[in-house]
Amino acid sequence: MRVARKALLYLLLCLVGLSTVFPFLWMVSTSFKTMNEVFSIRPNFIPRNLFTDKMWDNYQTILVKHNFLRYVQNSLFVATTAAFGQLVACSLSGFAFARMKFAGKEILFGMLLATLMIPVEVTIIPEYLIMLKLGWYNTFLPLIVPSMLVGSFGTFLFRSFFENIPTTLEDAAFIDGVNSWQMFYKIFLPNAKPAIASLFIIAFMNNWNDLLRPVIYLDSEHLWTATMGLMQFKGNYGTQWHLLLTGSVISVIPLIAVYIAMQRYFVEGMLGSGMKG
Amino acid sequence: MRYGRVAPWLFVLPTIVGLALFRIGPIVAAFLVSFTRWNVISSPQWQGLANYRELMSSEIFWRVLKNTVVFSVTYVPGVMVCGLFLAILVNTKLKGITFFRGLYYLPVITSTVAIGVVWSWILSPRFGALPRILNNLGVMNVPSFLGDSRYALLTLVVVYIWKMSGYHMILFLAGLQNIPEVYYEAAKIDGATPWQLLRHVTLPLLSTTTFFIMIIALIQSLQTFDLTFAMTEGGPNNASATLSFFTYVNAFVHFRMGYAASMAFVLFLIVGSITLANFWARKYWVSTLD
Repeated sequence: MRVARKALLYLLLCLVGLSTVFPFLWMVSTSFKTMNEVFSIRPNFIPRNLFTDKMWDNYQTILVKHNFLRYVQNSLFVATTAAFGQLVACSLSGFAFARMKFAGKEILFGMLLATLMIPVEVTIIPEYLIMLKLGWYNTFLPLIVPSMLVGSFGTFLFRSFFENIPTTLEDAAFIDGVNSWQMFYKIFLPNAKPAIASLFIIAFMNNWNDLLRPVIYLDSEHLWTATMGLMQFKGNYGTQWHLLLTGSVISVIPLIAVYIAMQRYFVEGMLGSGMKG
Repeated sequence: MRYGRVAPWLFVLPTIVGLALFRIGPIVAAFLVSFTRWNVISSPQWQGLANYRELMSSEIFWRVLKNTVVFSVTYVPGVMVCGLFLAILVNTKLKGITFFRGLYYLPVITSTVAIGVVWSWILSPRFGALPRILNNLGVMNVPSFLGDSRYALLTLVVVYIWKMSGYHMILFLAGLQNIPEVYYEAAKIDGATPWQLLRHVTLPLLSTTTFFIMIIALIQSLQTFDLTFAMTEGGPNNASATLSFFTYVNAFVHFRMGYAASMAFVLFLIVGSITLANFWARKYWVSTLD
């Protein structure tokens, strides 16, 4: 009876899992097909060119001829810089909110809390005008600077993390005569590795996947990010599904690689974000 | 004041700059811009409530607002039921369960654009995987899910639920794991069926979590720009355009900044009232639970 129930549960888990992975498998499968194969009367799941020397043709076309290699590099640069910047800004302010006393602290924190849920669509118009005034249009800066500085979620994450570090550690360090910066950098930050990993990954993911800002700020083709390049390709070659899906695979692979490597931080971090919402 | 007077301000400086320049400032500025006529190239002209009057008399705006409401009222319960189902499914100590949790979470981390592309392909008329499967099952005349104005919006909802269920699974899972085992044991001794356990133990004890998840889902349902842009671009004939997408179109396709800002302000009012409701409800709960 127990064994039967277990088997049934695994079966259910696999069925649900199949509905989750099918689009991904279909994406990968299509990316190895030829145009004729995609539109053939009898569809096949295993591409005919798989494990032949023509196997990587679509990838060659997309990465080189359609410049996706460039787009992926741009995305890597933008996402890494923004995530790193967000880490710096959020760990500093998270530390201040958790451990320091200053006038207006509650009001400031309240404002962060109150604006946490305001969608970017609300603030994007004035932001766009600011970027035009600064001369940052058609550069990476509008993609990096706002997301770097407006890290309400990251601030919450670090605040709750630093709040849980015992005061005795702080007291001991003060007796040893450390200053504020050393306290943060030498004592607290080394203890915050899970928070650092979670925030870095989540910020990286958000910036990698961002579409609105690349669409409105990036004009020159050589600056496009992976999501932007994919959208443009869809607009221009909407029916070349084999190439379009190849582009999709390329644009999700770096993220999935990071996800598999650091899965527990993803889930932990998302849990943290949820609970602080 | 062990850290002195200056240090705290240096620590929060980047966040204050960001808050002022990219949050509070733009919210106020968007409100002011909404009273002007502005195409970016020439300087803005004050024209009072004209944008709001145009909004109120625009048939398209009401249609878009209705689409937004339809999206929210279908997405929110949909994603919550799916999320709860997944959470209950993975709330066991079976071997390999973390693998399944990770698997169900995969669509959440994938970019909406890539998901939009692959689902557009799966749903594509005639050659897409779903129409082909349906044809093989004997269903002929499969509609064009994204090209037919009757189905486009709901198709977006379904794809978005598919993408976000894993996120809500994690939130529900955290809530489920906070329920002490003793309640279940007690109910089982009284002979409760699994359905009764769910109905009379799990759901009541999960109500604060559920409310909080509902708020998150509501806010998510208003931020659909990526999905709409990647799959339908609001079409056909604005049938799947929602408020966030329509704001983008007016601002960055038609360059009607003032008019778009008035829409952004409507969006702000909606999100603002949801946030307020959230704060109020939390206070109420905290006081009653104490």
